[in-house]
This record gives sequence, C-alpha cells and structure tokens, in this order.
Amino acid sequence: MSEQTTDTETAATMSKDDVVLSVDGLVKTFGALVATDHATFEVERGTITGLIGPNGAGKSTLFNLISGFYETDEGSVSVNGTDVTGQEPYEIADHGLIRTFQTPRKLEGMTVREAMLVGPRNQPGESFLKLFTAPGEVGEAESKNMADVDRILEEFEIDHLATQPATKISGGQMKLVELARAMLSEPEILLLDEPAAGVNPTLRNKLAEQIRRLNEQGTTMLLIEHDMEFVMELADPVIVLDQGSVLMEGRPDEVQSDDRVIDAYLG
Amino acid sequence: MSLVEDPKGYWTDLTVAEKGVTAGVVLFAGALLVSLLTGGLTPTYFLYLVGIAGMYALLSLGLNSQWGFSGLINFSVAAFFGIGAYGTALASASGSPIAGGLPPVVGLLAALALAAILALFIGIPTLRLRADYLAIASIGLAEVVRLIVLNQDDWTNGSAGVRGIPSFFDGWPVLGTFPETMPTLVFGSGPGATVLSTSFWQALSNVALVLAFVGVSYLVLRRAHRSPWGRVLRTIRSDEDLARALGKNTYSFKMQSFVLGSLIMALAGVFYAHLNLYVSPGDLDPITTFYVWVAVILGGSGSNRGALFGGVVIVAIQEGTRALPLDAAPIRLLAIGVIIVLLMRFRPQGVLPPQRELIWPGTVDETPQQPDSGVRETKAGEK
Repeated sequence: MSEQTTDTETAATMSKDDVVLSVDGLVKTFGALVATDHATFEVERGTITGLIGPNGAGKSTLFNLISGFYETDEGSVSVNGTDVTGQEPYEIADHGLIRTFQTPRKLEGMTVREAMLVGPRNQPGESFLKLFTAPGEVGEAESKNMADVDRILEEFEIDHLATQPATKISGGQMKLVELARAMLSEPEILLLDEPAAGVNPTLRNKLAEQIRRLNEQGTTMLLIEHDMEFVMELADPVIVLDQGSVLMEGRPDEVQSDDRVIDAYLG
Repeated sequence: MSLVEDPKGYWTDLTVAEKGVTAGVVLFAGALLVSLLTGGLTPTYFLYLVGIAGMYALLSLGLNSQWGFSGLINFSVAAFFGIGAYGTALASASGSPIAGGLPPVVGLLAALALAAILALFIGIPTLRLRADYLAIASIGLAEVVRLIVLNQDDWTNGSAGVRGIPSFFDGWPVLGTFPETMPTLVFGSGPGATVLSTSFWQALSNVALVLAFVGVSYLVLRRAHRSPWGRVLRTIRSDEDLARALGKNTYSFKMQSFVLGSLIMALAGVFYAHLNLYVSPGDLDPITTFYVWVAVILGGSGSNRGALFGGVVIVAIQEGTRALPLDAAPIRLLAIGVIIVLLMRFRPQGVLPPQRELIWPGTVDETPQQPDSGVRETKAGEK
C-alpha cells in the first residue's frame, strides 16, 4: 500500500466522520480460491450493519481480514479514518475495533466475573513492572473495572452468573457474556460473528434485545448472521456478500426482495 | 479463613486433596523427625535434602509459570538450570577457565542475564508461532546448550567440569564466616552422638539461601498470577485469539512469562552450583527436565502450591529410594512412571489443582456455587 493511497483514504474518511469502518477493495486468496474479491463497503456510525451471504460467500474471511487475523493480499481497512491494514489484531483492537467469535472458547479456571475482567483495554495491572512498582494504581484500576463488570453484568441481566465457573455456563449464556465483555473494551465498532448461532429462542431474543439496547446507546455494530430473521429485525443497512464481493447493499426490505440476492441464495 | 484465628474452621474449609496433602506432609515430617532423632538421618544430610527439595521446587515454579499459566511447552528446563549453574560457576569459581574469582552475587547476576538472553533467543523466533514450535525448538535448545558446555573446553572446561566454586555467602560480612565461627555442638555421647559442626552450619546457610530464593519466587509469582497480568496469561492459555481480539499483545505477554520462568529455573541452577561446589555437563542431562515436568503435572498445572508439592515428592522418591537395599536407579524411574500412570487415570488435574490461589480477591464470593475441576468443591451444607 502506497503512502499516497493512505493519505487520500484518510482525507476521504475524515471528511465524512460518520464512517467508523471503511473497507476498500479487500482481496484474499487461499491458493486458487478467491475468498474475498475486492470487497468494498463502509459502516456508518450508530448503525447496526448486517453482513449476510450464502455459505462460502466469504463472510468469516472478511471478518478475519478486518480484525487483522488474516493478512490481506490487496486493499485496505480503516477504522475511524486510521488505516489499520496489516496491523496485528491487538493493535486494531486498540483503535476501537473489537470482535467476537462464532464459537467462543470457555476460559478454564476462571469465574464469569474474571473472564469479564479480561475485557477492559490497557489495564495498568497488565504491566508486570507496575504490579510491583505501582500496586496502588493497579488496585484502584482493578476496583473500578470490577465495578464496571458488575454494572454491565446487571445491565445484561446475567449478574447471577458472576461467580459461576466460566466453563459451566451454557453456550447461549457464553454469547451474552462475550457481548458484555466486548462492551468493557469500549468499542468504536463491534464486529459480531454469528451471535445467535446455536442459541435457544429465549436467549436469542434476549441477545437481540441487548444488541438493540447497546446500539441505541450509541455502539456501532457490524453483524454477520445466518439467521435471516435475526438480521432483518436488527440490521439496517444490510450488505449482501456473494463469492467474496459485495453483491448489494440496502434496507432489509430491499435486500429481501432483490432478485440477485434470491438468486445467490438459491442458485 | 486464617489458620491462627480459627484452626478448626480452617481445617474443615480445606478440600479433600488439601486435607490429604496436609496429613501427608505432617506424616512425612514426623517420619523425618523420627529418623533424625534416632540417628537414621544425619542433620547435615537432612539439610542437604531440604536444599535439593527447594531446588526442585524452584524448577517446578519456573516451569509452572511457563506451562501452567501460559501454556508454553518448554522442554529445556535442564538447559536453563545448567545456564544458571554454569553462569555463576564460571564467574565465581577458582577453577573457571574464563573469569573466575568474582563474588557469587556477580555470578548470580551473570547467570540471570545469561538465562534471560537464552530465553529471548529461543522465544523471539518461536513465540509468535503455535505452541508446538516452542516445544520442538526447546528440545533442540537443551541439546545445543549441553553440547556446547561439553565441547567448548576453553570456555567451560568441557567434560572435566568447573571446580572450586565458593559457597554463596563467601566473602559476605557475618554470613561469609558463619559456618566457621559457629561452635561444634555434640548431642548425646559415644558413637551414636549427633555432632553439629562446620558442615552442618554450612548446610544451614545453604537452606536459608534456597528458602529465600523459593520464598521470593513464590511471592512474585503469586502476585503476578493473581493480577490482571496473570489473567491475560490464563486467557492466552485457553484461547489466544480471544486475547488478541481484546487488544492484548499476546506475543509480549508470552515472552514475559517465558523469561520469568527461565529466570527462576536459572536461580535453581545458581543455588545448585553453590551447594555442590562443582558443576559438570552431566548436570544438564535431559532427565532433569523430565523430573520437573512430572513434578508440575503431579502437583497440578497452574498451581504454585502444587509445583512446590511436586518438587518435594520428586526429591522424596529420588532420595528415599537410596535407602532401599536394591539398585535404586530403576526403582526410582519405575516409581515415577507408576505415579504418572495412576495420576493420569485417577486425578488428571493433579493433586493440588489451582483453586483459590488463582483467583484475584473479590472475583468470587466465598465459594463458587458449582464444583469444577479448576475450582474448589462445594462443601456439604452450602448451596
């Protein structure tokens, strides 16, 4: 990526500061397979943007490219106007892009509260030296984080899980915990990878409720989901991905009635 | 709950395993006391055993910091141990082919510096990769270090080893001359009398040294592992991608943990050199690595108490089998093999798996509501 492109990119996104995430011409190939083919789209601040597509359309690859887990072959990703292409996942997270995983792994030997406490970014207690040179600062930050965790667990109505071992809660509860933990990282944009997959209907509704609430409080989200109903009730706009590139983007009703989308799903 | 304020409550609050271990430790201590009093075990030898147990405890704590907390598979424990031993020996021994004659404290610092460099050397290329790469590279590293020590005669004296290592407190005010200035004490009379002479006081100061090393390492690890720093490491152990997605520089965390563990292993080597007063390439044999792994798995990966316990058990087996009227070496290996098989079958999480010690105060109420392999069991009568 040349210097010049970066500059124009920044200038373009700076002028529209309502864009949180901008994906430009992303390409990723695995051998002969083109998983992502010049995907280009933007996510505006304050929206829940849905990302749908048939199996193998490249949704997960795209997520991994945006969050830095895969290296891009071509194209660029900007978060809040900063080019983050080629950065490590933790650096991208530092720009405020936080992602969740389709199948969250459970943290062994931790309570739910502890698993939540991993969320806040840049904790002073994560510096080995500060543990011994600034114990006061570490302790204060920890108390504050603990209070934040308890507040968020309450907001998510899962405070009864706080002292449960993180390995003992159900998959659906884990998804809620993951969403709650992501909020502790104070994301500028939250990438949700199939939050409703494998979740029972009651919890699914609860998840949808929480996603909507967080969005109303100002969190921007990009949502991959297989469950059409779930996407359509939450997301606006919806981006349709097919064979690695963006097929169309529009309101949920537009997308649902579009012939190309129907073809892609059925064809 | 404090042992002093409420000994009965403290006891009932322990898990079954904790009770078993406590009882075992008391019995073991009792047996040692009896053999001390009956003359079956001389005080000096007893202190030597405590020193060796402390050394294994250090090695286990070091490996536990790498494997137990961060999931880093290090098969070069013996190399870091050897680097510690040779580092201090080459700096302080009169028979050192390079420096020699420096104060043992300088030797300690040199050993730690060497161990840190070695840890970085192996960590930089492998810690970005999957866990298996470190495992493979560390096997190679252990052999490379051993062969260098064996063959670089002009640096290390090769197979002849390094002689003339002073004791650690040599040249210190008061402590340096402590063994010589203490009087010889005689308890009892005749051939069965217990004589406490210079070698006893020497052994006593060695035990003080290893206890100081173990104590400091234990406290540092305890603080570190219960902190947000340790929490990130445990997250990495379970799911590294999750830690990365939450903005943690996992490479840096793993490196810190790896170097920390290696330094503690080197500390064991430093102690060993000043205890034995002679080091040779045989001290770098891979069997040490094997014993330490057994100690950590036996104690319970991720548990510092378990690491201490495992270290002591290994020494008990090693030295206890010497008393048997048989060729001890195969018995020793057999005993350790049997222990591993029984452990994997009946208690794969180890004897003292990580429980309360892992948890930052306040992240749990008194007891979790459900038992879990990693969390202490609920007591009867509680919900």
